[in-house]
Amino acid sequence: MVVKIRLARFGRRKAPFYNIVVAQARTARNSKPIEVLGTYNPIPQPPTDGEGKPFKDIRLDSARTKYWLGVGAQPSDPAWRLLSMAGLIVPKYRPGASATQHAPPAPK
Amino acid sequence: MPPSLACSSSTLSCAKQLCKATASSTSSRSFSTTPRTQQRTTRARRALYRWLATVGDNFRNPLPGSTNYLGAYNAQGKLKRVVEAEYKKANDKKMDKGNRDIPKDPSEALPPESARDRTPFPISRSFISQSVLSEEFRDEIWFRIMKQGKSVREVSVDMGVEMSRVGAVVRLKEVELEWKRIGKPLATPYAKAVMSMLPKTGFAEDAASERSLPERKLFSKPKRLMSDEERKKLRAANREQRAIEARGIEGRNFARHESINDLPVHSKTGQQIFHPTSESRQFTRADAAKVFDERLLPADDRIPHPEMVVRQRELVEGLSDEERMEKAQLRAAKAESKRLAEVAKQVAKDSKTKRVETPRWEFRFTEANVEDAGKTGRGHKGVGWRYGVPLYDRNKGLVKIPQSVE
Repeated sequence: MVVKIRLARFGRRKAPFYNIVVAQARTARNSKPIEVLGTYNPIPQPPTDGEGKPFKDIRLDSARTKYWLGVGAQPSDPAWRLLSMAGLIVPKYRPGASATQHAPPAPK
Repeated sequence: MPPSLACSSSTLSCAKQLCKATASSTSSRSFSTTPRTQQRTTRARRALYRWLATVGDNFRNPLPGSTNYLGAYNAQGKLKRVVEAEYKKANDKKMDKGNRDIPKDPSEALPPESARDRTPFPISRSFISQSVLSEEFRDEIWFRIMKQGKSVREVSVDMGVEMSRVGAVVRLKEVELEWKRIGKPLATPYAKAVMSMLPKTGFAEDAASERSLPERKLFSKPKRLMSDEERKKLRAANREQRAIEARGIEGRNFARHESINDLPVHSKTGQQIFHPTSESRQFTRADAAKVFDERLLPADDRIPHPEMVVRQRELVEGLSDEERMEKAQLRAAKAESKRLAEVAKQVAKDSKTKRVETPRWEFRFTEANVEDAGKTGRGHKGVGWRYGVPLYDRNKGLVKIPQSVE
């Protein structure tokens, strides 16, 4: 069975909060995962010093994430987006890129 | 229904004049549908026109360069402070019969206004129009912060202006300079008009010795090199200023704007608590704070300028100027090192955070450790929302909506 890196939705109604988890692909979304790698808060927080853009907070164990990517865990699209922003994998989709470039490159 | 402004033959002469001023063409027809019998000259109406001709006239042609509040005029429409000053002068004349020169134009030498003259609402005597910072005062604050590099705290104590206001003045001044730089038009006539009507805290040119120094002129004039003599003068003045500061607030020779060391009201201290304590025990302000809340600081630490209290205490102890200066410098150094440590801590924290800018948001990545969850994977410090832990959102007897807004 495939092991995936994906998001598990927690939080209240209209207040989402995600765990970034490593789980078997066919298990339920919020079932107990193999490992929790981090969290993602998609609600923009006001900037702490009162200047600049609002920020989205992500906590991630990059060492464990690299390990799971190395043993062939497949990130879901939203997880791919976050991990590519963290610099762990090559971005999958780029706005304005041609169709040939859309083929997902192999993870590092 | 508002009273009609059409003139009837029975109104007073002054009222007629007013009617002419307001409605230029004296129309015989009134737009009011109120019957004529109800528009008869009542006592209230007569009083209104009498008021318009006496006190009210002052508001049609307001006093230039002064506040013009209702509370400043007596029933005859004369400025109370002018009447009082004239009375006093007449009395003085009677007393010594000297030939003093009297100013011919009374408007030229208006006596200074008191709190009584700054009441806009005659029924609400306790409402006093508070003074605002004059343009020169604000310039001086900006100059001390941005050019002389003084701290907000220091300037607040020196000039008697709250720290938050000092911050606001500097920010607004910066906005103004930025607007000037990019050529955005300023609403100067509006500002002038409003400022001419408000009571102001002025900053006299010769009030602070620093103000009249050559360095001060950099503000308006292009930079020029100071001669040795000027530099010496500047240094002497700075020394004098420091001596004034060391002496405490009594050394000030210009008006304070507001009280700067008021204890801010904390929401935790809002409740009344009857706290029994033994008589033999010393119950200090620190203990009182503990009673209100375990984490509440004592009042001595919550005031905006605790250093002023320390300074005054040292003054009472009778320490010499040098000793106090030394102590003040020690305190300043300590505060600076503390600030630097905080900055370093923040920088260290920032260096661990990876920031990714997108057009709308900034994504902040911080490092987490999977091992924090412990051997069982159920530890409290573990990263992420915990599994198998119930939410108490729907339990009875728990407050679901916030009780206060902080």
